[in-house]
Amino acid sequence: MNCEWVKANITLYVYEELPDDGRYELEQHVARCADCAAELDAMRGFRSAMSAAPQLEPTPSLLAASRMRLQESLETAEQHRGWRLLDPMIWLRQMKFSPALATALLIAGFAAGAGATWRMAPRGVVPAIVAGNPQAAEASIAGIRQITQMPGGNNVEIKYDTVVPQKLEGSLDDQRIQQLLLFAARSNYNSGVRQDSVDLLARNPDNTRIREALMASLLYDTNPGVRLKALESLGPFVKDHTGVRNALLQALQNDTNPGVRAEAIHLLQPARADGSVRMVLERLAKDDRSEYIRKQAGRTLASLPEID
Amino acid sequence: MSAEALAVPITLGEVSGYPGLKPMEQVRNNESWSRRGHMLEGSIRRVDDAVLIREAQRGDRAAFEELVRHYDQAVLRLAFHLTGSEQDAQDIYQDAFLKAYRSVGRFRFECSFYTWLYRIVTNLCLDHLRKKQVRKEDAPVTMGQDGEPHSLLDQVADQRAGANPEHDLLRRQLGARIQAALGKLSGRERMVFELKHYQGLKLRTIGEMLNTTEETAKNTLFRATQKLRVSLAEMR
Repeated sequence: MNCEWVKANITLYVYEELPDDGRYELEQHVARCADCAAELDAMRGFRSAMSAAPQLEPTPSLLAASRMRLQESLETAEQHRGWRLLDPMIWLRQMKFSPALATALLIAGFAAGAGATWRMAPRGVVPAIVAGNPQAAEASIAGIRQITQMPGGNNVEIKYDTVVPQKLEGSLDDQRIQQLLLFAARSNYNSGVRQDSVDLLARNPDNTRIREALMASLLYDTNPGVRLKALESLGPFVKDHTGVRNALLQALQNDTNPGVRAEAIHLLQPARADGSVRMVLERLAKDDRSEYIRKQAGRTLASLPEID
Repeated sequence: MSAEALAVPITLGEVSGYPGLKPMEQVRNNESWSRRGHMLEGSIRRVDDAVLIREAQRGDRAAFEELVRHYDQAVLRLAFHLTGSEQDAQDIYQDAFLKAYRSVGRFRFECSFYTWLYRIVTNLCLDHLRKKQVRKEDAPVTMGQDGEPHSLLDQVADQRAGANPEHDLLRRQLGARIQAALGKLSGRERMVFELKHYQGLKLRTIGEMLNTTEETAKNTLFRATQKLRVSLAEMR
C-alpha cells in the first residue's frame, strides 16, 4: 500500500467500485497521509460538482413522440426469423400441434437426403440392392420414388431412397460426438435415446452449449424422465448462473410432473435467498395446486433468515 | 461556491443498477423497507421480462411494446445526455428498439435484457459520437423538434425550494463548463463516464455492455475522470 496505489484507485473508491479489503486499506492510508487525504477530498468534490450540473432530461412530450413513432414503425417491422427456422426445438414444438407439418417435414427431410445421394452417385447408376453389398444390405428403404415398367419385357425400374446407418465412436470430449449428443437430446423421437444423451451430456455441464441444451431439455422435453435428468445435472449451477436459476424456476412453476417440481424446489435450496426464487416460493406456498409443493415451498421459506 | 452546496441528490433509480427503475412507493422512511422493495421489484421485473421476451420471440408485438415501456425512458435519457439533441436522441431511440425487435429472437438469456438492449443503444450512441464531431468550446446549443436553436441548459429549471436567480445562474455556468469538459472526452470515455456517473451502473455491467472487460472499463473511467478534472481546472 503506497501513495501511488491510492491515487490509482481513488476513483474506484469514490465510485464505490473498490472491494472491501481495498476500501479498508485505502481508508487506513488516507487517515495518516495528508497528500492522499487531499486527493480524496478533491475527487469527492469532483463527483459532487459533476452531479451538480443541470441534468438534461427528456421532456414527456419527447418521450410520447418517440413512442408513437416507434409504434408506427413496429407495425411494418419484421423480426429476423432465419436462424429460428433451423432451431430443432421450434420445429419440435410446432410438430406437437401440427401432424400435417410433421409429415411434410419428414418428407422434405427424405427428399433432401435422397437428393444428396443422387448427386453423390455416379451418373446413370441407379442405387440397387445387390446381394453381397454390405452397405446396401444394412440400409433400410425410406420410400419408393418411381416404378417404371421397361418396354418389351418383364423388367421394371424402381427408384427408391435409403437410409444408411452410420456409426461414430469417440471420446465424450470429441466435438463431433458432442454435436451428435446435442442433436439426439433435442430431436430424437425415441425418449430413451434422448435420456441417454442427456445423461452423457450432463457429465460436461461446464460447456455453455451443453448447459443450454440441458436447459432446453428441462423446459421442453416431453418425457419427464429426460427433464428430471436434465434438472439434476443443472443443480450445481443454480447459485451462480442466473440463466440456470430462471430455467429451474420456470420448471418449478410450469412443469406438469410433480416429481420434477419437487426436485426443482430441492435444487433451488442453495439460491433460496435470491429475490426471484423467494418470490416464486412465496407464491407457491400460498396458492399452488399441489399440497406437497405448498408445504415444501413453505418449509424452504421458513428456513430463510429474515432480511430486515 | 462550494460544490456541496449545489449537490443534487442522486435518485434511487440511479443507484439501483437497474436503469429507469422507480421505487415501489415514492416515500419510505424505513431504509430496509426501501431496499427490500427494490429487491422485490427487481425480481418481479426479471420474471416479467422473461415472460415478455419469450412472447416477443414468438412474434407478439404487444409483449415487445410492454418491454419497451420498461426501458425506454432510460434509453431516451442516455441518448439525450450523450447527443445533446432531441432529434438525435429520438433517432437513436427509434433505431435501437427497431433493432432490438428484429433481433429479439436471437436473445438467448445469457445476460439480462437491459444489458443486451444497452449494448445496442451504446453502439448506436458511439457511432453517433464518432460521426458527429462535437464542437468543443460551444455551449450545448442544439436544434429542437420545432427547428429552432436553443440552449439545452435553458430547459433545465431549478425546481428546488429556495432556488434564486443568482444561484441558478451559477449552476448553469457550472453546467456549461461541465458540458464543454465532457465534449473533450473520447466517445468511449464519455460513454463509460455517463453509464457510471449518471446512470449508476456497475463497471462489470458497463464492460459487458461495451463488449470489453471490467478492467478496461475501470481504466477508461480513470482516464475520463482525470481528463475532466484537468479540463474543469483549466476553465476556472
